[in-house]
Amino acid sequence: MQAGKDFNEFYNSELRGLIAPQEKERKRVAVFGIFGAILVILSVAGFFYATSSNIQGVAIGAFVSLIAAVIMLVIFYNKRKNYVSWFKENIVHSIIKYIDPELQYNPAGCVHKNDYKNSGLYLEHTDRYRGDDYVEGRRDKTTFCFSEIHTQKKVTSGKSTHWETIFKGLFFIGDFNKNFQGRTFIYSENNPQLGFFSKLFNSFAWNLEKVKLESIEFESKFIVYSSDQVEARYILTPSFMERLVKLQDLMGDRTSYSFVDTNVYVAIPISDELFEPSVFSENDYNRLGDYYNTVQIVFEIIDELNLNLRIWNKE
Amino acid sequence: MIYIFLTAIVIIILVLIIIYNNLIQKKNAIDNAYFSMDVMLKKRYDLIPQLVETVRGYMTHEKDVLMKLTELRQKVIVENLNTNDKVELDNKINAVLQNVFASFENYPQLKASENFLKLQGAINEAEEQLAASRRFYNAAVNDYHNGIEMFPSSLVASWMRLKNKTFFSIANEHSQVPAFKF
Repeated sequence: MQAGKDFNEFYNSELRGLIAPQEKERKRVAVFGIFGAILVILSVAGFFYATSSNIQGVAIGAFVSLIAAVIMLVIFYNKRKNYVSWFKENIVHSIIKYIDPELQYNPAGCVHKNDYKNSGLYLEHTDRYRGDDYVEGRRDKTTFCFSEIHTQKKVTSGKSTHWETIFKGLFFIGDFNKNFQGRTFIYSENNPQLGFFSKLFNSFAWNLEKVKLESIEFESKFIVYSSDQVEARYILTPSFMERLVKLQDLMGDRTSYSFVDTNVYVAIPISDELFEPSVFSENDYNRLGDYYNTVQIVFEIIDELNLNLRIWNKE
Repeated sequence: MIYIFLTAIVIIILVLIIIYNNLIQKKNAIDNAYFSMDVMLKKRYDLIPQLVETVRGYMTHEKDVLMKLTELRQKVIVENLNTNDKVELDNKINAVLQNVFASFENYPQLKASENFLKLQGAINEAEEQLAASRRFYNAAVNDYHNGIEMFPSSLVASWMRLKNKTFFSIANEHSQVPAFKF
Protein backbone atom coordinates (compact mmCIF):
# COMPACT_ATOMS: atom_id res chain seq x y z
CA MET A 1 0.00 0.00 0.00
CA GLN A 2 1.36 3.44 -0.91
CA ALA A 3 1.16 6.24 1.64
CA GLY A 4 -0.93 9.05 0.18
CA LYS A 5 0.00 12.43 -1.23
CA ASP A 6 -0.84 14.17 2.07
CA PHE A 7 1.64 11.98 3.89
CA ASN A 8 4.27 12.90 1.29
CA GLU A 9 3.76 16.58 2.12
CA PHE A 10 3.86 15.86 5.85
CA TYR A 11 7.08 13.88 5.40
CA ASN A 12 8.75 16.70 3.49
CA SER A 13 7.54 19.49 5.72
CA GLU A 14 8.02 17.89 9.17
CA LEU A 15 9.50 14.41 9.40
CA ARG A 16 12.48 15.02 7.15
CA GLY A 17 13.47 17.99 9.31
CA LEU A 18 13.22 15.90 12.48
CA ILE A 19 15.18 12.93 11.15
CA ALA A 20 18.02 14.79 9.41
CA PRO A 21 19.83 16.03 12.59
CA GLN A 22 19.73 12.50 14.04
CA GLU A 23 21.20 10.85 10.94
CA LYS A 24 24.76 11.43 12.21
CA GLU A 25 23.87 9.77 15.51
CA ARG A 26 22.25 6.84 13.71
CA LYS A 27 25.39 6.32 11.61
CA ARG A 28 27.55 6.53 14.74
CA VAL A 29 25.42 3.83 16.39
CA ALA A 30 25.72 1.68 13.27
CA VAL A 31 29.54 2.07 13.31
CA PHE A 32 29.69 0.73 16.90
CA GLY A 33 27.58 -2.23 15.83
CA ILE A 34 29.62 -3.00 12.74
CA PHE A 35 32.99 -2.64 14.54
CA GLY A 36 31.74 -4.74 17.43
CA ALA A 37 30.73 -7.52 15.02
CA ILE A 38 34.06 -7.32 13.16
CA LEU A 39 35.98 -7.53 16.43
CA VAL A 40 33.97 -10.59 17.50
CA ILE A 41 34.85 -12.31 14.21
CA LEU A 42 38.51 -11.32 14.55
CA SER A 43 38.76 -12.57 18.12
CA VAL A 44 37.09 -15.91 17.28
CA ALA A 45 39.41 -16.34 14.27
CA GLY A 46 42.39 -15.31 16.48
CA PHE A 47 41.51 -17.89 19.13
CA PHE A 48 41.27 -20.64 16.52
CA TYR A 49 44.57 -19.62 14.96
CA ALA A 50 46.26 -19.36 18.39
CA THR A 51 45.05 -22.86 19.36
CA SER A 52 46.33 -24.44 16.15
CA SER A 53 49.63 -22.44 15.88
CA ASN A 54 50.32 -22.09 19.61
CA ILE A 55 51.48 -18.47 19.22
CA GLN A 56 50.89 -16.64 22.49
CA GLY A 57 50.87 -13.16 20.92
CA VAL A 58 47.91 -14.06 18.73
CA ALA A 59 45.98 -15.38 21.73
CA ILE A 60 46.61 -12.14 23.65
CA GLY A 61 45.54 -10.13 20.57
CA ALA A 62 42.37 -12.20 20.26
CA PHE A 63 41.61 -11.68 23.95
CA VAL A 64 42.09 -7.90 23.69
CA SER A 65 39.97 -7.92 20.56
CA LEU A 66 37.22 -9.78 22.45
CA ILE A 67 37.24 -7.25 25.29
CA ALA A 68 37.09 -4.40 22.77
CA ALA A 69 34.20 -6.19 21.00
CA VAL A 70 32.26 -6.52 24.25
CA ILE A 71 32.79 -2.82 25.03
CA MET A 72 31.75 -1.85 21.50
CA LEU A 73 28.63 -3.99 21.64
CA VAL A 74 27.60 -2.68 25.06
CA ILE A 75 27.96 0.88 23.76
CA PHE A 76 26.07 -0.14 20.61
CA TYR A 77 23.26 -1.67 22.66
CA ASN A 78 22.85 1.44 24.84
CA LYS A 79 23.14 3.89 21.97
CA ARG A 80 20.71 1.89 19.85
CA LYS A 81 18.25 1.81 22.73
CA ASN A 82 18.49 5.60 23.05
CA TYR A 83 18.10 6.10 19.31
CA VAL A 84 15.05 3.79 19.10
CA SER A 85 13.53 5.55 22.10
CA TRP A 86 14.12 8.98 20.53
CA PHE A 87 12.74 7.74 17.21
CA LYS A 88 9.53 6.38 18.71
CA GLU A 89 8.90 9.40 20.92
CA ASN A 90 9.45 11.86 18.10
CA ILE A 91 8.94 10.31 14.68
CA VAL A 92 6.35 7.59 15.35
CA HIS A 93 4.54 9.86 17.79
CA SER A 94 4.39 12.62 15.12
CA ILE A 95 3.05 10.18 12.51
CA ILE A 96 0.33 8.96 14.86
CA LYS A 97 -0.63 12.50 15.89
CA TYR A 98 -0.67 13.48 12.22
CA ILE A 99 -3.18 10.71 11.48
CA ASP A 100 -5.38 11.70 14.41
CA PRO A 101 -4.35 14.19 17.12
CA GLU A 102 -6.66 12.43 19.60
CA LEU A 103 -4.79 9.12 19.41
CA GLN A 104 -2.69 8.20 22.44
CA TYR A 105 0.64 6.49 21.83
CA ASN A 106 2.74 4.71 24.42
CA PRO A 107 5.93 3.21 22.93
CA ALA A 108 6.55 0.97 25.94
CA GLY A 109 2.95 -0.12 26.57
CA CYS A 110 1.02 -3.00 25.05
CA VAL A 111 -2.41 -4.62 25.05
CA HIS A 112 -3.00 -6.14 28.47
CA LYS A 113 -2.33 -9.85 28.85
CA ASN A 114 -5.87 -10.37 30.19
CA ASP A 115 -7.36 -8.87 27.01
CA TYR A 116 -5.18 -11.13 24.91
CA LYS A 117 -6.33 -14.13 26.95
CA ASN A 118 -9.94 -12.99 26.94
CA SER A 119 -9.95 -12.86 23.15
CA GLY A 120 -9.74 -16.65 23.22
CA LEU A 121 -7.82 -16.66 19.96
CA TYR A 122 -4.72 -18.24 21.48
CA LEU A 123 -5.35 -20.57 24.38
CA GLU A 124 -1.93 -22.14 24.62
CA HIS A 125 -0.12 -21.47 27.88
CA THR A 126 2.05 -18.38 27.48
CA ASP A 127 5.42 -18.39 29.21
CA ARG A 128 6.62 -15.10 27.81
CA TYR A 129 4.39 -12.14 27.00
CA ARG A 130 5.94 -9.06 25.47
CA GLY A 131 4.74 -6.14 23.45
CA ASP A 132 5.17 -2.47 22.70
CA ASP A 133 3.83 0.43 20.63
CA TYR A 134 0.43 0.72 22.25
CA VAL A 135 -2.06 3.01 20.51
CA GLU A 136 -5.53 3.78 21.75
CA GLY A 137 -8.22 6.14 20.61
CA ARG A 138 -11.62 6.58 19.15
CA ARG A 139 -12.70 6.67 15.54
CA ASP A 140 -16.13 8.24 15.36
CA LYS A 141 -18.19 6.01 17.71
CA THR A 142 -15.71 3.18 17.96
CA THR A 143 -13.17 3.03 20.78
CA PHE A 144 -10.20 0.86 19.98
CA CYS A 145 -6.64 0.00 20.94
CA PHE A 146 -3.86 -2.01 19.39
CA SER A 147 -0.23 -2.85 19.90
CA GLU A 148 2.43 -5.24 18.84
CA ILE A 149 2.41 -8.46 20.84
CA HIS A 150 4.83 -11.35 20.91
CA THR A 151 3.84 -14.39 22.95
CA GLN A 152 5.98 -17.47 23.34
CA LYS A 153 5.97 -20.79 25.12
CA LYS A 154 8.92 -22.70 26.50
CA VAL A 155 9.41 -26.04 24.82
CA THR A 156 11.67 -28.58 26.50
CA SER A 157 12.83 -31.62 24.60
CA GLY A 158 15.36 -33.73 26.48
CA LYS A 159 17.97 -31.39 27.91
CA SER A 160 17.48 -28.59 25.45
CA THR A 161 14.84 -25.89 25.73
CA HIS A 162 13.78 -23.36 23.17
CA TRP A 163 11.17 -20.65 22.79
CA GLU A 164 8.34 -21.20 20.36
CA THR A 165 6.27 -18.29 19.10
CA ILE A 166 2.53 -18.52 19.68
CA PHE A 167 1.64 -15.15 18.21
CA LYS A 168 3.67 -12.27 16.89
CA GLY A 169 2.05 -9.32 15.23
CA LEU A 170 -0.54 -6.63 15.59
CA PHE A 171 -3.32 -7.22 18.08
CA PHE A 172 -6.41 -5.02 17.76
CA ILE A 173 -9.40 -4.61 20.08
CA GLY A 174 -12.45 -2.61 18.99
CA ASP A 175 -15.83 -1.95 20.48
CA PHE A 176 -18.27 -3.92 18.28
CA ASN A 177 -21.41 -2.25 16.97
CA LYS A 178 -23.83 -4.94 18.14
CA ASN A 179 -24.60 -6.43 21.52
CA PHE A 180 -24.04 -10.14 21.99
CA GLN A 181 -23.71 -12.56 24.88
CA GLY A 182 -21.78 -15.53 23.50
CA ARG A 183 -18.41 -16.10 21.90
CA THR A 184 -17.73 -16.38 18.21
CA PHE A 185 -14.35 -17.19 16.70
CA ILE A 186 -13.25 -16.83 13.11
CA TYR A 187 -10.05 -18.70 12.44
CA SER A 188 -8.18 -18.27 9.23
CA GLU A 189 -7.76 -21.50 7.26
CA ASN A 190 -4.14 -20.53 6.54
CA ASN A 191 -2.99 -19.68 10.04
CA PRO A 192 -0.40 -22.21 11.16
CA GLN A 193 -0.36 -20.56 14.61
CA LEU A 194 -3.78 -21.98 15.24
CA GLY A 195 -3.24 -25.69 15.17
CA PHE A 196 -5.86 -28.37 15.07
CA PHE A 197 -5.53 -29.09 18.80
CA SER A 198 -5.87 -25.42 19.70
CA LYS A 199 -9.16 -25.27 17.80
CA LEU A 200 -10.29 -28.55 19.31
CA PHE A 201 -9.40 -27.39 22.82
CA ASN A 202 -11.22 -24.11 22.18
CA SER A 203 -14.36 -25.90 21.14
CA PHE A 204 -14.37 -28.07 24.28
CA ALA A 205 -13.35 -25.29 26.65
CA TRP A 206 -16.17 -22.95 25.65
CA ASN A 207 -18.74 -25.39 24.39
CA LEU A 208 -18.37 -24.18 20.84
CA GLU A 209 -19.98 -25.55 17.73
CA LYS A 210 -18.78 -25.25 14.20
CA VAL A 211 -20.91 -22.79 12.23
CA LYS A 212 -21.53 -23.58 8.58
CA LEU A 213 -22.27 -20.43 6.63
CA GLU A 214 -23.74 -19.81 3.18
CA SER A 215 -20.88 -17.91 1.54
CA ILE A 216 -18.64 -20.35 -0.34
CA GLU A 217 -15.83 -17.80 -0.61
CA PHE A 218 -15.98 -17.06 3.11
CA GLU A 219 -16.07 -20.76 3.99
CA SER A 220 -12.98 -21.38 1.87
CA LYS A 221 -11.01 -18.79 3.86
CA PHE A 222 -12.30 -19.14 7.41
CA ILE A 223 -13.52 -21.64 9.98
CA VAL A 224 -16.14 -20.31 12.38
CA TYR A 225 -16.89 -21.62 15.87
CA SER A 226 -19.49 -20.14 18.15
CA SER A 227 -21.26 -20.76 21.43
CA ASP A 228 -24.51 -19.64 19.77
CA GLN A 229 -25.46 -20.53 16.19
CA VAL A 230 -27.99 -17.69 15.87
CA GLU A 231 -25.71 -15.10 17.39
CA ALA A 232 -22.86 -16.09 15.05
CA ARG A 233 -25.16 -15.34 12.11
CA TYR A 234 -26.32 -12.14 13.81
CA ILE A 235 -22.68 -11.00 13.78
CA LEU A 236 -21.78 -12.56 10.44
CA THR A 237 -24.37 -11.08 8.12
CA PRO A 238 -23.81 -11.77 4.40
CA SER A 239 -22.34 -8.30 3.83
CA PHE A 240 -20.13 -8.61 6.92
CA MET A 241 -18.76 -11.87 5.54
CA GLU A 242 -18.00 -10.11 2.25
CA ARG A 243 -16.15 -7.38 4.11
CA LEU A 244 -14.10 -9.92 6.07
CA VAL A 245 -13.06 -11.59 2.82
CA LYS A 246 -12.03 -8.18 1.46
CA LEU A 247 -10.08 -7.37 4.64
CA GLN A 248 -8.33 -10.72 4.43
CA ASP A 249 -7.03 -9.73 1.01
CA LEU A 250 -5.69 -6.51 2.51
CA MET A 251 -4.13 -7.88 5.69
CA GLY A 252 -2.86 -11.24 4.57
CA ASP A 253 -4.57 -14.57 4.79
CA ARG A 254 -3.59 -15.46 8.36
CA THR A 255 -5.72 -12.92 10.23
CA SER A 256 -8.11 -14.26 12.87
CA TYR A 257 -11.03 -12.63 14.65
CA SER A 258 -13.01 -13.20 17.79
CA PHE A 259 -16.17 -11.62 19.13
CA VAL A 260 -16.22 -11.74 22.91
CA ASP A 261 -17.80 -9.43 25.53
CA THR A 262 -19.17 -7.12 22.80
CA ASN A 263 -15.63 -6.51 21.52
CA VAL A 264 -14.05 -7.57 18.27
CA TYR A 265 -10.48 -8.86 18.58
CA VAL A 266 -8.29 -9.04 15.49
CA ALA A 267 -4.94 -10.84 15.45
CA ILE A 268 -2.78 -10.03 12.43
CA PRO A 269 0.45 -12.04 12.35
CA ILE A 270 3.37 -9.85 11.21
CA SER A 271 6.95 -11.09 11.16
CA ASP A 272 8.58 -7.60 11.22
CA GLU A 273 8.78 -5.45 14.32
CA LEU A 274 6.10 -2.77 14.41
CA PHE A 275 7.35 0.87 14.36
CA GLU A 276 10.95 -0.31 14.90
CA PRO A 277 13.58 1.88 13.16
CA SER A 278 16.76 0.47 11.71
CA VAL A 279 20.14 1.88 12.72
CA PHE A 280 21.93 0.26 9.79
CA SER A 281 19.92 1.87 7.02
CA GLU A 282 18.24 5.19 6.54
CA ASN A 283 14.72 5.51 7.93
CA ASP A 284 13.45 7.00 4.73
CA TYR A 285 10.09 7.90 3.25
CA ASN A 286 9.23 4.31 2.38
CA ARG A 287 9.82 3.00 5.88
CA LEU A 288 7.88 5.82 7.53
CA GLY A 289 5.17 5.35 4.92
CA ASP A 290 4.87 1.75 6.13
CA TYR A 291 4.29 2.97 9.71
CA TYR A 292 1.63 5.33 8.44
CA ASN A 293 0.00 2.50 6.49
CA THR A 294 -0.03 0.24 9.56
CA VAL A 295 -2.23 2.71 11.45
CA GLN A 296 -4.33 3.18 8.32
CA ILE A 297 -4.92 -0.60 8.22
CA VAL A 298 -6.42 -0.39 11.70
CA PHE A 299 -8.72 2.37 10.47
CA GLU A 300 -9.56 0.17 7.49
CA ILE A 301 -10.64 -2.56 9.93
CA ILE A 302 -13.01 -0.13 11.66
CA ASP A 303 -14.33 1.30 8.40
CA GLU A 304 -14.57 -1.98 6.49
CA LEU A 305 -16.34 -3.74 9.33
CA ASN A 306 -18.71 -0.77 9.59
CA LEU A 307 -18.09 -0.60 13.33
CA ASN A 308 -19.31 2.99 13.33
CA LEU A 309 -22.69 2.12 11.89
CA ARG A 310 -24.64 1.79 15.12
CA ILE A 311 -28.21 1.65 13.97
CA TRP A 312 -28.93 -0.99 16.59
CA ASN A 313 -29.28 -0.51 20.32
CA LYS A 314 -25.59 0.08 20.90
CA GLU A 315 -25.11 3.80 20.62
CA MET B 1 -20.30 -68.95 7.25
CA ILE B 2 -23.07 -68.35 9.78
CA TYR B 3 -20.73 -66.06 11.74
CA ILE B 4 -20.02 -63.94 8.69
CA PHE B 5 -23.74 -63.69 8.04
CA LEU B 6 -24.45 -62.73 11.66
CA THR B 7 -21.62 -60.17 11.67
CA ALA B 8 -23.01 -58.63 8.48
CA ILE B 9 -26.48 -58.44 10.04
CA VAL B 10 -25.08 -56.79 13.19
CA ILE B 11 -23.13 -54.25 11.09
CA ILE B 12 -26.21 -53.46 8.99
CA ILE B 13 -28.34 -53.00 12.14
CA LEU B 14 -25.67 -50.72 13.65
CA VAL B 15 -25.48 -48.63 10.47
CA LEU B 16 -29.28 -48.34 10.40
CA ILE B 17 -29.31 -47.21 14.05
CA ILE B 18 -26.64 -44.61 13.34
CA ILE B 19 -28.52 -43.31 10.28
CA TYR B 20 -31.81 -43.30 12.21
CA ASN B 21 -30.28 -41.35 15.11
CA ASN B 22 -28.58 -38.97 12.74
CA LEU B 23 -31.86 -38.19 10.98
CA ILE B 24 -33.63 -37.69 14.32
CA GLN B 25 -30.81 -35.35 15.34
CA LYS B 26 -31.24 -33.32 12.13
CA LYS B 27 -35.01 -33.21 12.61
CA ASN B 28 -34.58 -32.02 16.20
CA ALA B 29 -32.05 -29.42 15.07
CA ILE B 30 -34.82 -27.91 12.91
CA ASP B 31 -37.18 -27.82 15.89
CA ASN B 32 -34.48 -26.21 17.97
CA ALA B 33 -33.76 -23.64 15.26
CA TYR B 34 -37.46 -23.04 14.81
CA PHE B 35 -37.89 -22.44 18.53
CA SER B 36 -35.13 -19.80 18.63
CA MET B 37 -36.63 -18.20 15.52
CA ASP B 38 -40.09 -18.25 17.04
CA VAL B 39 -38.81 -16.11 19.91
CA MET B 40 -37.50 -13.57 17.42
CA LEU B 41 -40.71 -13.71 15.40
CA LYS B 42 -42.79 -12.93 18.50
CA LYS B 43 -40.53 -9.96 19.18
CA ARG B 44 -41.19 -8.76 15.64
CA TYR B 45 -44.96 -9.35 15.82
CA ASP B 46 -45.02 -7.27 19.00
CA LEU B 47 -43.40 -4.40 17.14
CA ILE B 48 -45.80 -4.45 14.15
CA PRO B 49 -48.79 -2.77 15.93
CA GLN B 50 -46.46 -0.05 17.23
CA LEU B 51 -45.06 0.43 13.74
CA VAL B 52 -48.52 0.66 12.18
CA GLU B 53 -49.67 3.08 14.89
CA THR B 54 -46.62 5.33 14.45
CA VAL B 55 -46.66 5.52 10.65
CA ARG B 56 -50.44 5.53 10.07
CA GLY B 57 -50.72 9.32 10.35
CA TYR B 58 -47.94 9.91 7.84
CA MET B 59 -48.34 7.12 5.30
CA THR B 60 -51.73 8.12 3.93
CA HIS B 61 -51.21 6.38 0.57
CA GLU B 62 -50.24 3.03 2.07
CA LYS B 63 -53.34 2.39 4.18
CA ASP B 64 -54.13 -0.86 2.35
CA VAL B 65 -50.63 -2.17 2.86
CA LEU B 66 -50.73 -1.34 6.57
CA MET B 67 -54.14 -3.00 6.91
CA LYS B 68 -52.85 -6.12 5.20
CA LEU B 69 -49.88 -6.16 7.53
CA THR B 70 -52.19 -5.95 10.57
CA GLU B 71 -54.37 -8.75 9.21
CA LEU B 72 -51.44 -11.06 8.56
CA ARG B 73 -50.01 -10.36 11.99
CA GLN B 74 -53.39 -11.11 13.60
CA LYS B 75 -53.65 -14.35 11.65
CA VAL B 76 -50.20 -15.57 12.61
CA ILE B 77 -50.62 -14.93 16.34
CA VAL B 78 -54.24 -16.06 16.74
CA GLU B 79 -54.44 -19.14 14.53
CA ASN B 80 -52.82 -22.34 15.64
CA LEU B 81 -50.63 -22.98 12.60
CA ASN B 82 -48.22 -25.79 11.87
CA THR B 83 -44.59 -25.01 11.14
CA ASN B 84 -44.87 -24.99 7.33
CA ASP B 85 -47.98 -22.73 7.35
CA LYS B 86 -46.33 -20.41 9.81
CA VAL B 87 -43.22 -20.20 7.63
CA GLU B 88 -45.34 -19.38 4.57
CA LEU B 89 -47.34 -16.76 6.43
CA ASP B 90 -44.21 -15.15 7.77
CA ASN B 91 -42.77 -15.06 4.26
CA LYS B 92 -45.86 -13.04 3.27
CA ILE B 93 -45.47 -10.70 6.26
CA ASN B 94 -41.86 -10.26 5.29
CA ALA B 95 -42.79 -9.26 1.73
CA VAL B 96 -45.35 -6.70 2.98
CA LEU B 97 -42.85 -5.29 5.47
CA GLN B 98 -40.36 -4.78 2.65
CA ASN B 99 -42.95 -2.61 0.89
CA VAL B 100 -43.58 -0.61 4.06
CA PHE B 101 -39.85 -0.13 4.67
CA ALA B 102 -39.31 0.93 1.07
CA SER B 103 -42.09 3.53 1.41
CA PHE B 104 -40.43 5.26 4.39
CA GLU B 105 -38.16 7.04 1.95
CA ASN B 106 -41.14 8.97 0.57
CA TYR B 107 -41.99 10.49 3.96
CA PRO B 108 -39.25 12.84 5.20
CA GLN B 109 -41.43 14.05 8.09
CA LEU B 110 -41.75 10.49 9.32
CA LYS B 111 -38.00 10.04 9.26
CA ALA B 112 -37.64 13.17 11.41
CA SER B 113 -39.98 11.89 14.13
CA GLU B 114 -38.14 10.85 17.29
CA ASN B 115 -40.67 8.14 18.13
CA PHE B 116 -40.26 6.67 14.69
CA LEU B 117 -36.47 6.74 14.95
CA LYS B 118 -36.57 4.85 18.26
CA LEU B 119 -38.98 2.33 16.80
CA GLN B 120 -36.81 2.07 13.73
CA GLY B 121 -33.82 1.18 15.94
CA ALA B 122 -35.84 -1.54 17.71
CA ILE B 123 -37.12 -2.91 14.39
CA ASN B 124 -33.62 -2.92 12.92
CA GLU B 125 -32.38 -4.90 15.90
CA ALA B 126 -35.29 -7.35 15.71
CA GLU B 127 -34.89 -7.75 11.94
CA GLU B 128 -31.16 -8.42 12.27
CA GLN B 129 -31.76 -11.06 14.92
CA LEU B 130 -34.60 -12.54 12.95
CA ALA B 131 -32.51 -12.71 9.78
CA ALA B 132 -29.81 -14.53 11.75
CA SER B 133 -32.25 -17.04 13.24
CA ARG B 134 -33.82 -17.61 9.80
CA ARG B 135 -30.43 -18.35 8.34
CA PHE B 136 -29.79 -20.81 11.17
CA TYR B 137 -33.19 -22.41 10.54
CA ASN B 138 -32.48 -22.66 6.82
CA ALA B 139 -29.04 -24.16 7.50
CA ALA B 140 -30.73 -26.80 9.70
CA VAL B 141 -33.37 -27.48 6.99
CA ASN B 142 -30.65 -27.77 4.35
CA ASP B 143 -28.73 -30.23 6.51
CA TYR B 144 -31.93 -32.21 7.08
CA HIS B 145 -32.74 -32.27 3.35
CA ASN B 146 -29.26 -33.59 2.61
CA GLY B 147 -29.92 -36.33 5.15
CA ILE B 148 -33.28 -37.43 3.76
CA GLU B 149 -32.29 -37.17 0.09
CA MET B 150 -28.83 -38.72 0.08
CA PHE B 151 -28.29 -42.47 -0.28
CA PRO B 152 -28.42 -44.61 1.88
CA SER B 153 -30.02 -42.39 4.54
CA SER B 154 -32.82 -41.62 2.03
CA LEU B 155 -34.03 -45.25 2.41
CA VAL B 156 -34.29 -44.92 6.18
CA ALA B 157 -35.89 -41.46 5.78
CA SER B 158 -38.61 -42.82 3.48
CA TRP B 159 -39.29 -45.64 5.97
CA MET B 160 -39.52 -42.98 8.71
CA ARG B 161 -41.83 -40.98 6.40
CA LEU B 162 -39.74 -37.86 6.78
CA LYS B 163 -40.82 -35.07 4.46
CA ASN B 164 -39.16 -31.93 3.12
CA LYS B 165 -39.50 -28.79 5.20
CA THR B 166 -40.15 -25.29 3.91
CA PHE B 167 -37.30 -22.81 3.76
CA PHE B 168 -37.77 -19.31 5.11
CA SER B 169 -37.30 -16.71 2.42
CA ILE B 170 -34.41 -14.42 3.29
CA ALA B 171 -34.74 -10.92 1.98
CA ASN B 172 -31.80 -9.05 0.59
CA GLU B 173 -29.95 -7.67 3.58
CA HIS B 174 -29.64 -4.20 2.13
CA SER B 175 -33.28 -3.84 1.17
CA GLN B 176 -34.54 -5.41 4.37
CA VAL B 177 -33.63 -2.61 6.69
CA PRO B 178 -33.60 0.97 5.49
CA ALA B 179 -30.20 2.44 6.20
CA PHE B 180 -30.93 5.19 8.67
CA LYS B 181 -27.87 6.73 10.16
CA PHE B 182 -28.35 8.35 13.55
